[in-house]
Amino acid sequence: MIRKRILERLPLFNRFHLTLVLMAILFATGCADMRGYLAKSLPLPGYPEDAIQRNDFVVGKDEDVIGRLATIRLERGDTLPDIARHFSLGINNISAANPGVDVWVPGAWERILLPLNFILPDTRRDGIVINLATMRLFYYQKNDDRLDVSTYPIGVGTEERPTPMGEMVITRKKHRPTWYVPASIAADHRKKGDPLPPEVPPGPLNPLGEYALYLSEPSYLIHGTNKPASIGLRATNGCIRLYPEDIERLFEKAPVKTPVLIINQPYLVGRRDGIVYLEAHTPFQESATANWKRAYAKLKHIENQSGSLLDWKKVKEVVIEARGIPVPVSADGDGVGMAAAQPIRLRHPGRLFGQPEIPAFNTDAWYVLAASLRDRTDAQRLAAIINHQGPPIPARVLSEGDQHRVLAGPFDNERAARDAARRLKIDLELDAVLFET
Amino acid sequence: MKKMILGLCMMVVLAMGLGGCATQKDLEVVQAREKAIAAKADQAAQDAENARMAADEAIAKANTAIERAEGAEQRAIERERIAAEKERMAEEKAKKADEMFKKSMKK
Repeated sequence: MIRKRILERLPLFNRFHLTLVLMAILFATGCADMRGYLAKSLPLPGYPEDAIQRNDFVVGKDEDVIGRLATIRLERGDTLPDIARHFSLGINNISAANPGVDVWVPGAWERILLPLNFILPDTRRDGIVINLATMRLFYYQKNDDRLDVSTYPIGVGTEERPTPMGEMVITRKKHRPTWYVPASIAADHRKKGDPLPPEVPPGPLNPLGEYALYLSEPSYLIHGTNKPASIGLRATNGCIRLYPEDIERLFEKAPVKTPVLIINQPYLVGRRDGIVYLEAHTPFQESATANWKRAYAKLKHIENQSGSLLDWKKVKEVVIEARGIPVPVSADGDGVGMAAAQPIRLRHPGRLFGQPEIPAFNTDAWYVLAASLRDRTDAQRLAAIINHQGPPIPARVLSEGDQHRVLAGPFDNERAARDAARRLKIDLELDAVLFET
Repeated sequence: MKKMILGLCMMVVLAMGLGGCATQKDLEVVQAREKAIAAKADQAAQDAENARMAADEAIAKANTAIERAEGAEQRAIERERIAAEKERMAEEKAKKADEMFKKSMKK
């Protein structure tokens, strides 16, 4: 009765409001369904992430630079190793290209540079060429008049056990290899209180991963890994590691007797479209000066031979910054060529390849309290590091006030939880505590 | 003669009296002026006192403001120092975590 009276008094006003309310209700119920549709149909800024080439390139005649730079905006929970793996980059590449960005807890929505262009090493372009300084493998294949190159990021030997350099060949290939533990590594593990069996069969605990290419240099292999986050690190005992998905491709492509050349070139000079580029990486301490002298001589030679001047101030900047990105250093570079060096914007794929998944919280399982910290960022960093162990250990942060607990799990049984706690102690020196929910 | 002298004396007294009357009036005028000047002097002194007090107050306020500014600057320096220390500690922790991670990535 009252409603009728009001409607009669202000018919237009009230009908308008009723319509608005009805529309709001309809919109609210439709939101969840509409979101997916809108995401698919609306043109979002930037290119789709698969628009950029990561591994396979055609080498232009008389050209030394392949690929191009890109950028991507991070989403909540992304880490730099996740982005690196998705775009087939090493942790070294992405860290150097983005100085000052926290590797494990970067700011959400931060724009990250993807260094997906590379200067080819100054070597023969045939078979496999491995550049230790840039931690990158190149596999050249001639197809009639065309030269194709596939490139993958790698992990290499430590300072104590460096990867040997020089010419070698692939002597044999093995799918699902067994790891025969070398005496020196067995001794190291014994010292750590983590004795290894004489041989490790194929499976998640095998550090060789699923594929191995044995080299003519005895005891050295190009293989996969059960620690994908180690790609781009000096973390092996001299072998060369690739991401599991990359070694699978290389294993298929490279036959036995493929020549393998291992070099160390932290400073790379190359040309594309008439522009001279310089790519500088932080050199291994033991080889810095000699390598720079070689690169400097090459730059001088290019300058003298071509008659076009180089921007030596820029050269100095590139060497000091060592961001691992090809930078144009021609003093008279034209705008078109320079514009080609600009990065393209990519859209976030939503789910990153190989990103660790954290199972739902289970109230009927075993957990391991890895640490209890007062700083949330420290806790998030530790959880991310645990998540990226190989094999992965799921971990999350449970916050309560200013107490942030890093919890590993869930584990199906006490034994699995105890194994995880042991690995946390040996690998990360954490005194973890087991408990059952 | 006596009458004449008396007359003269009376005239002198009268003249003196008359002259005296004029001096009294003048005196009153002078006194009034003096009073006015004194009042002005008092007012000026009061004004000067007020101005001095106002100046003192302004100086005191300025001193307080300077003290506050110095305090704020000190606090800002301290905050900056703490922030730098926190940043250094955070960097150190990140570096330590990174080293721990790198070690864990070995075979």
